[in-house]
Amino acid sequence: MPTCDHCLLEFPERDAVRSGNNGTSRVFCCHGCLGVYQLINSEGLDDFYRKRSKWQPGPASGQTVDLAAFAENIRPAGTDAETDIVLDGIRCASCVWLNEKILMKTQGVISAQVNYATHRARIRWNPAEIGIEAILKRISSIGYTPKPFVAKAYEEEQQRASQDLLIRFGTASFFSMQLMIFSLALYAGYFQGIDDKTKNIFHLLSLLLTTPVLFYSGWPFLKGALRGLRHVTFNMDVLIVAGAGSAYLYSITQMFTGGEVYFDTVTMIITLILLGRYIESGAKRKASETIARLLSLAPQEARKVLPPEKGDIVAIGMPHRVMTPVPSPVPGDLLEVIPGERIPLDGVIREGASEADESMLTGESLPVAKTVGAEVFGGTVNLYGSFIYEVSRIGNDTVLARIIRAVEDAQSRRAPVQALVDRVVRIFVPAVLLLSLATGLYWFFAGTSPSLAMMNAVSVLVIACPCALGLATPLAILIGTTHGASRGILIKGGDVIEKSKRIDVVVFDKTGTITEGKQALSFFRGSGMSDDEALHLAASLERLSEHSISKAFLRATGSRDFSPVSHFAVLPGKGVRGEVDGKETLIGNHGFIASACTNQSLENAFPVEIMNAALAAETAGATVVYLSQSGKPAGIFFVSDTIRQEAAAAVKMLEHAGLDIIMITGDGQNTAMAVANAVGIKTVLARRSPIEKAEEISRLREAGKRVLMVGDGINDAPALVEAEVGMAMGRATDIALESADMVLMRADLRLVAEAIRLSGKTFTIIKQNLFWAFFYNAVAIPLAIAGLLHPIVAAGAMALSSLSVVGNSLRARVR
Amino acid sequence: MSSMYVLILIAFGVGLAAWLLFLWTVKSGQYDDVEGPKYRMLDDDDDESRPENIRPL
Repeated sequence: MPTCDHCLLEFPERDAVRSGNNGTSRVFCCHGCLGVYQLINSEGLDDFYRKRSKWQPGPASGQTVDLAAFAENIRPAGTDAETDIVLDGIRCASCVWLNEKILMKTQGVISAQVNYATHRARIRWNPAEIGIEAILKRISSIGYTPKPFVAKAYEEEQQRASQDLLIRFGTASFFSMQLMIFSLALYAGYFQGIDDKTKNIFHLLSLLLTTPVLFYSGWPFLKGALRGLRHVTFNMDVLIVAGAGSAYLYSITQMFTGGEVYFDTVTMIITLILLGRYIESGAKRKASETIARLLSLAPQEARKVLPPEKGDIVAIGMPHRVMTPVPSPVPGDLLEVIPGERIPLDGVIREGASEADESMLTGESLPVAKTVGAEVFGGTVNLYGSFIYEVSRIGNDTVLARIIRAVEDAQSRRAPVQALVDRVVRIFVPAVLLLSLATGLYWFFAGTSPSLAMMNAVSVLVIACPCALGLATPLAILIGTTHGASRGILIKGGDVIEKSKRIDVVVFDKTGTITEGKQALSFFRGSGMSDDEALHLAASLERLSEHSISKAFLRATGSRDFSPVSHFAVLPGKGVRGEVDGKETLIGNHGFIASACTNQSLENAFPVEIMNAALAAETAGATVVYLSQSGKPAGIFFVSDTIRQEAAAAVKMLEHAGLDIIMITGDGQNTAMAVANAVGIKTVLARRSPIEKAEEISRLREAGKRVLMVGDGINDAPALVEAEVGMAMGRATDIALESADMVLMRADLRLVAEAIRLSGKTFTIIKQNLFWAFFYNAVAIPLAIAGLLHPIVAAGAMALSSLSVVGNSLRARVR
Repeated sequence: MSSMYVLILIAFGVGLAAWLLFLWTVKSGQYDDVEGPKYRMLDDDDDESRPENIRPL
C-alpha cells in the first residue's frame, strides 16, 4: 500500500491522489492532504517535511470552526488584538514550527507563539488588517483545527501556585546567597576574632536579609504549621517552623548578648525545602497538562441524525442533520460522523464503515477497521468513511472520561515511602518538642542561668530540623525518572519505583510483546517459476487486498514495481483472485488453491520436506498460503509473527535476577509453546481472553506474588491495570503513559530488566537519602542536650546532610 | 574598612539586579513552556542560499 506523503498513513492504492509537482511525483491519501501539501509548498515551507521526526501518522483534519466561541476570547493589547487558542493536531516540534511560520507569513499577524507542551497558541494581530476568521481559516487550511481555549479554573490555579512557588524559591535563594556573604565572614570571625562593631553590623544585615525569607518565602510553611497546630497534629510544617522560627528568635536574642547567630540555618531550611516542593509541583503540573490535552480531545459538537419523516430513509449523506452541542445526545440517539472528524461519544455503528485512529486511547498506531456493529469511542478520529452510529455511553461513562478519571486518580497517589516519612515525622516532631522542653527544664533546674537554659533548648530544636528531608524523596525520584527516560523507560511516579523493585513474577503477553506483533514472510518457494518471481506475483496481487497478511508480502518484496492486475476479487475465507498478463492467478488457503489446481496436483508440486514444514509451521501458529497460476501451483508462503531478536536474552536476564517468568496469550497451546520454547520461558498460560488474563494476574497476587505485567497495552489493558506494575511497550502516547505504570519507549525487551534494576537502585537511594537527612542532625542532638553545641556544628550538620542527599541522589544516574 | 561597605553595597546591587531580572522572567511567562525551546533552537530560519531551499518554479 502506498504511504501518503503528507500524513504518512498507508492507504489503498485505488484512493491515491497524485500530484506531479516540479518533476517529483507525490502521492496523497486524500484531497485534503494534497491541499495542505500545496499550501506548504507554495509558502516555501517544504522544510517541514524534512524536519518532522516524531510525527504520528494522521490525516489533515481541517474542520470548520465555530467563530462565536473564539470571539469572546479576544482581548485588546494596545492597538492590537490578542487571543489564546488550542491547536488540535500538533504532533511534533515541526508542527509548532509550521504553524508559527505560516501565521507569521500572514499579512496582519504580529506575533504567533505555540507552546509545545500545552499545544496552546498565543496570536497577536492588527485588527485593521486581518480578522480572527481569516487567521483561523489559515490554520485549518494547513490541517490543524483551532479550538477555543477554555481556561479551566483548577488548571489556572495550579499554574498560579507553581509560579508563586517559583518566585518564593527564587527570592529565598537570592537572600540566602546575600546572607552567605555575611555568614562566612562571621564564621571566619568565630575562629580568628572579629571586632564587635563589624560583628554587630553583620548581625543586623543578616537579620534584614533573613526576615523576608522567613516571612515571605516561608509563608506557606507558617500557614501549614498554624493549620496543623489548630488541629493538634504535628506535620512537617510544624517541624520546619519550629526549627526555623526558634533559630530566628534565638538569633535575635543573641544579637543583644553578643553570642553566635543562626540566621543562615533559617534561610537554608526554607530554601531547600522550597526547592523540593517546586520539583514536586513540576511533576504534578506535567500530569495535569496531560489531562487538559485529553479533555480537549472531546469534540464540542455532534452531527445528530433527525428521526426520518414519512418516506425518508436515514442514510449516510442524506439531509435531516442538526449540529448539537455534545452534552445533549442521550443513549439511543443516532449521530453521523464524516471523515477527518473526531467521534463525539461512545457508540455502536449502525450504518457505513470506516477506519478509526484510536491511538489516543490505546497507543495502537494502526487504524482500526470499523464496520456495522463495531464499537467506536469518543475522542478517536474517523479516518476514511462516513458512518452513522448509535450512542451507547455519554458523559462520565465514556472511555475517554474514564481514562481522564484514572489519570486524576493516579496523580493523587503518593509514594508509600513518603507516607512512611509522614508517619515518622508525626512521631519525630512531638518527640523533638518534648526533648527540647525537657532540656530547657533540666538546665534551668540544674542551676544555670535562664538564658543559657533557653539557648540549649533552642539548640535542640534547631539541630533537629532536618532541612534535607524535604529534598530526599523528590530529588531521588526526579533523577531516577529522568535517567530512566533517557534510556527509554518512562516511570509514572514514586509509588511505581517502590513497587517495581520488589517484583517476584514477570508476566509477558505474547503478541506484540515477545513477538513483533506483525506478520512477516518467514519462508517462500516457487513452483514452475523462481522464488522471486513467485513472490513478485503474489505481492502484485496482495497489494490490492486489505487483509492483514498482505502487508507481509509487500514488506518482503520491498519494491514498488508491480505487475498490473485485472479482474481482482476478494473471496472471503478463501483468498483473492485476479488476472496477471491474462493468466488467472489465485492466492489463498490450502483448500481453495487445491481445488483450483486442475492441471497439476498441489500435493506433488513441492518437495515432501516443505509440505511437512508447512504442517509444522501451521501447528506453531503460522499461516501457510498457496499461489496458483492457470490452474497450476506456483508458490507456497509461510507467514508468521516473528519473535523479537532480543527476547531470549531478556528472559535470561530476568531469570538471572531471580524472577519467575510466565507467558500469557490468547493463542492456542501449540503456538504458545512454540514461542515459549524459542525464548526459554517454561510457564505458559494459553487461550486466555483479555479478562481471563487479568484474572490470572489477580490469582497470582492472591497467592502472595508481586506481579509485573508487560504488554503492548492494547488487548491486555485489564491485565496491565490488575498487575502490581503494568508496563506498556512500544509507541508511547501520553495516554499509554497514564494507563500503564511504566512505558518502554523502545520496543526492546531488555529494558524490562533494566527498569526493575533502575527502580531498585532509585529506591535504595531514597532510603539512604532519608538516612542522611536525619543522621547528622540526630547525632548532634545529644551535643545540643549536653549544652556543647557550637554554631559551627549546627551549620556543618546542615550543609553535610544536604550535600549528602544531593550527592547521593546523583548516583542514580550512574550505571 | 569603608571599602568593605562599598563592596557589600556592590554585591547587594548585583544580587538585587539578578533578583529583579528573575522576577521579570517569571512574570513574563518564560518558564511556562520549558519543552519547546529545546526543539526551537534546531529550527533554522529559511536560508535562501541553501540549495535545497531554493523554491522550484
